[in-house]
Amino acid sequence: MNFQEIRNNFRDKKVSAKELTEESLKKAKDKSDLNAFISHFEEYALERASYIDTNFDQYIDKPLGGIPIAHKDIFCTDGRKTTCASKMLENFVPPYESTVTKNCNNAGSIMIGKTNMDEFAMGSSNETSFFGPVKNPWDDSLVPGGSSGGSAACVAADITTISTGTDTGGSIRQPAALCGITGLKPTYGLVSRWGMIAFCSSMDQAGPIARDAFACSALLNAMASYDDKDSTCSKRESVDYEKGLSKDFGKLKIGVLKGVENLGISEEVLKAYESSKKILEQLGHSFVELDFTELSSGICSYYVIAPAECSSNLSRFDGIKYGYRSEAKNLSELYLKTRAEGFGDEVQKRILIGSYVLSAGFYDAYYRKAQKVRRMIKSKFDEFFMDVDLVFLPTTLDQAFEMNRESSDPNRMYKEDLLTIPANLAGLPAMSLPNGFSKNLPIGVQFVGNYFSEELLLNTAHKMQEVTDWHKMTP
Amino acid sequence: MNKIELKNLLFLSRLRVNEEDQDKTIEKLQNTFEMIDQMNDLDLDKFEPLNNPLELTNVSRSDKEKNRNKKEEFLEKSPKSDEDYFVVPKIVE
Repeated sequence: MNFQEIRNNFRDKKVSAKELTEESLKKAKDKSDLNAFISHFEEYALERASYIDTNFDQYIDKPLGGIPIAHKDIFCTDGRKTTCASKMLENFVPPYESTVTKNCNNAGSIMIGKTNMDEFAMGSSNETSFFGPVKNPWDDSLVPGGSSGGSAACVAADITTISTGTDTGGSIRQPAALCGITGLKPTYGLVSRWGMIAFCSSMDQAGPIARDAFACSALLNAMASYDDKDSTCSKRESVDYEKGLSKDFGKLKIGVLKGVENLGISEEVLKAYESSKKILEQLGHSFVELDFTELSSGICSYYVIAPAECSSNLSRFDGIKYGYRSEAKNLSELYLKTRAEGFGDEVQKRILIGSYVLSAGFYDAYYRKAQKVRRMIKSKFDEFFMDVDLVFLPTTLDQAFEMNRESSDPNRMYKEDLLTIPANLAGLPAMSLPNGFSKNLPIGVQFVGNYFSEELLLNTAHKMQEVTDWHKMTP
Repeated sequence: MNKIELKNLLFLSRLRVNEEDQDKTIEKLQNTFEMIDQMNDLDLDKFEPLNNPLELTNVSRSDKEKNRNKKEEFLEKSPKSDEDYFVVPKIVE
């Protein structure tokens, strides 16, 4: 059953919140081999479900009333462990609730647990987690993508119909594509970052992960709100994204890739891309070819800016204030040992890159230059959106890959995000949805929209899902 | 990048890499910088640096007490406390 059917059944009293929660908890247990969860909150979830059933009238109209949800373990949950998949925060219990999880609670959802992820959201395969890798529900020898790999696997394996994720360079869209589900990275500033553990503050953005655009719209309705605790949060009037699904936006002009052969996209992904273009054509939309060459240099900029901000954000983990603390003879040794033991290899590497590009003598050559590339990419998109309504391109270069992948290209893992990063640099909303299968593995494609065009993105994806079945496939 | 530069970088980052792993760390960093250095091929003169995608204005709030200090709760959650104080390792030498 999909999200909409489940919610209707709850509203029609055909199923109780408790029954839905019990089912999700059972599936989570049955599928524990996936390692999709870091924490389970069985007792809490059942108590909350009973409360919702008892107070049914208050929840009948809520967008997520009675629906079990899994939250990425990057969102602080008051009184409940929040680890960010790091040894550094293995036993961290926040004394406050993130705005995202609070909003989801207020919308009537029931948190059944916190999902596994790449450590501090740094990774594209969910292999950097201190709690071990997540397996792809389609093939357990493959990765689910990252960093929101646990949230994507949880929805793909049908444990919950909705989950939350964060996307700094593709961390919602890439795992959504590799797991055959739908995920939306909103415009930077649409969803509050309060209580979301920071990696790269100028790009981090939380968003919905679900099987289809319908469920994403309901979840985004819950997640998005103005929040004075996040100074970058948008003050725009709220939009009802679910209602927006039935709007008629007319025939769209959609930007498609020109010169794709140079980007290293696999044959299977390109084939699926071409056939989904035909579907858009059948829906009456027309295409404008866009040159993506300049946008593909976003990856160079990203791997300067994101590590720079990460090295600054992660300096708070010093063994004194909170989190892991090593044994040491003096203060200097305490810092070194705590951070060397508490952070994993990938996180340490990114801190080193960040310190390097921000250090005296290299600032102009790296950090400032990367910010200029960022401006170039934003300007390119601004130019695109003078002419087109949406940009349409594959989400990933290839499908899910094996764990511990060996590649002759040492930067292969970073290139996973080649097609997703430009939207993060520009702060634009982007949405990935399944658009085909090859070798029994899903493929994803994404729309990038202009600022705050989530309604159009969701509407277009929904219309596409009305005439296709890929999002209904389960492992 | 050589070992002296790496050691300086490790100091700046307050991190430690064992002597025997340092060559490997240097190689990994250099590989990433090879990718990053492709920026040098771009003509960026006409672009101003962009540090945030949105045009932002600062947010202020009225000068009223908002969140009461949850002292007891915070102390309870700390690994070690003594009366009203957090107990931490010696940080002034």
